[in-house]
Amino acid sequence: MHDAYLDQVKQKSDKLMNYFLISFFMCGLLLAFFYDTWLVGIGIGSLALIAYYTTRRLLPNSDTYQYIVSLVFGIFMAQYIYQMHGLFEMHFIAFIGSAILITYQNWKLQIPLALLVIVHHATFGYLQYIGYDKVYFTQLDYMTLQTFTIHGILATIVFFICGLWAWRLKKFSETQIEQTYEMGRFQEEQLQRKALLQSNEELRKSNKELDRFVYSVSHDLRAPLSSMLGVVGLCEMGNMEPFIEKNVSLLKSSIKKLDGFIMDILDYSRNSRTEINRQEIHFDDLLTDICNNLKFMCTEEQRKVAVRTKIQNGIAFYSDRSRLSIILNNLISNSIRYQNPEAADPFVEIYVEISASSAEIRIRDNGIGIDKENHEKVFNMFYRVSTKSVGSGLGLYIVKETVEKLHGVIDLESVPGKGTAFSIHLPNLAS
Amino acid sequence: MEYKYKTVMVVDDNQIDLYIAEMVMATTKFAEKVICIGSAKEALDYLKPLNDRPDELPHLIFLDINMPEMTGFDFLNEYKNLPENIRKKCIIMMLTTSLDESDRKQAEENVFVKRFLNKPLDRDKIAQLL
Repeated sequence: MHDAYLDQVKQKSDKLMNYFLISFFMCGLLLAFFYDTWLVGIGIGSLALIAYYTTRRLLPNSDTYQYIVSLVFGIFMAQYIYQMHGLFEMHFIAFIGSAILITYQNWKLQIPLALLVIVHHATFGYLQYIGYDKVYFTQLDYMTLQTFTIHGILATIVFFICGLWAWRLKKFSETQIEQTYEMGRFQEEQLQRKALLQSNEELRKSNKELDRFVYSVSHDLRAPLSSMLGVVGLCEMGNMEPFIEKNVSLLKSSIKKLDGFIMDILDYSRNSRTEINRQEIHFDDLLTDICNNLKFMCTEEQRKVAVRTKIQNGIAFYSDRSRLSIILNNLISNSIRYQNPEAADPFVEIYVEISASSAEIRIRDNGIGIDKENHEKVFNMFYRVSTKSVGSGLGLYIVKETVEKLHGVIDLESVPGKGTAFSIHLPNLAS
Repeated sequence: MEYKYKTVMVVDDNQIDLYIAEMVMATTKFAEKVICIGSAKEALDYLKPLNDRPDELPHLIFLDINMPEMTGFDFLNEYKNLPENIRKKCIIMMLTTSLDESDRKQAEENVFVKRFLNKPLDRDKIAQLL
């Protein structure tokens, strides 16, 4: 940003230099008429221009040529003084050069000009003083030291002031640019913030709408199912022929499957949309609740599965209770559902170890197990291991998603015919 | 066998669920008389005049949440403005398909609601109430 501005200053000033230098050269030619100094006018003038333009062409990215132009102004001054045989007013040319140089906003450019003026004055003044012929410095016959000193002081002041202006100009433009830049950045930030707020608001709104939608759909889908279950329950209360009884029980398991599927989808959408609701977890209570909910599951066509829990308490563990419930509920119900009919005592063992930083949960059963090749796939959406699988194919997918939402990791070890063990590492959200 | 309650009211917009509740309560001898009401508004209209005849008030009211026009929670808001005689006698239980945590929480926070039950009403749930 700043560089771009300086570049612009440089380009504009370079352009101006072309006009000034040509004018200086033409001026030299004009002056040649007075004392017939054509050789000096053309020779020195063109040498100075060649020096300048060669440097500018060869080193366009360095500012050397700017220092050369500073020297060139000094040279023109010396040339004019000579051409006008020491006309005192020609000394002002140095001041013109000094003023022109301000345009580059670099005080150092004054130095070459000043140095050249000093060297020129010293040399030529001295040469004239000792009476050397053909040297023109002043038309005064005798220049007192006082005159020379005042001359020098005034020149120094001019160079100093021009240098100061250049420096001030540069500082001023720098702050100006910085302020403009800051202002632009501020405006952009404001705009971004506004856009962010707006999209946040939209997101919140659409999330809320989705929430309402899921709520209504799940209600509207589940309400008739629960009516159906209720009617099936009424049938079961009366006496039924064995044929009817069998059909009613098939109907019931279908309804429950569909209801389970809807609840899985509900769990999934709830997990992916809602924020983590941090609270202290009491694993005893949580597991008791889950086992109570799963109790009816065992009493039906399956044998009862012994649920053993071992919890190492002592340290408070914080996480999201409803999410943890989804995880454990799915895993324990899988252990019950996929129990091994050949095992003498079907069991599922839940082992919880809590530390200040995490909870390690291990759920081990002696169920039918999962083939090694399916270990990865069981966590996929809608993946079902076999046609015997009775679930929605969402359970373990939801488990994995939920564990990840809680910033945890889940691992699986399983040997077909022996059993399955899930290890879950969950961070303690204590702070 | 004695009936557990003399009068029980069920408020639900779903006719089948009303039928189920009525049947289950009759079979389990839970209630002698089941008043089935199809909307929250009708339920209020039914309760209001019973201020003078408290004997006819239901002991229990089973209340659905998700109903058109007036939800179960809207009913509870109106219910608290009913005369104390009525409120004193009736015990309200939410009976709903909703699994929503906020529904459960809202119901449990309400002083008039004693239990939160999930549909369908069956023999086991009735047994738990006894």
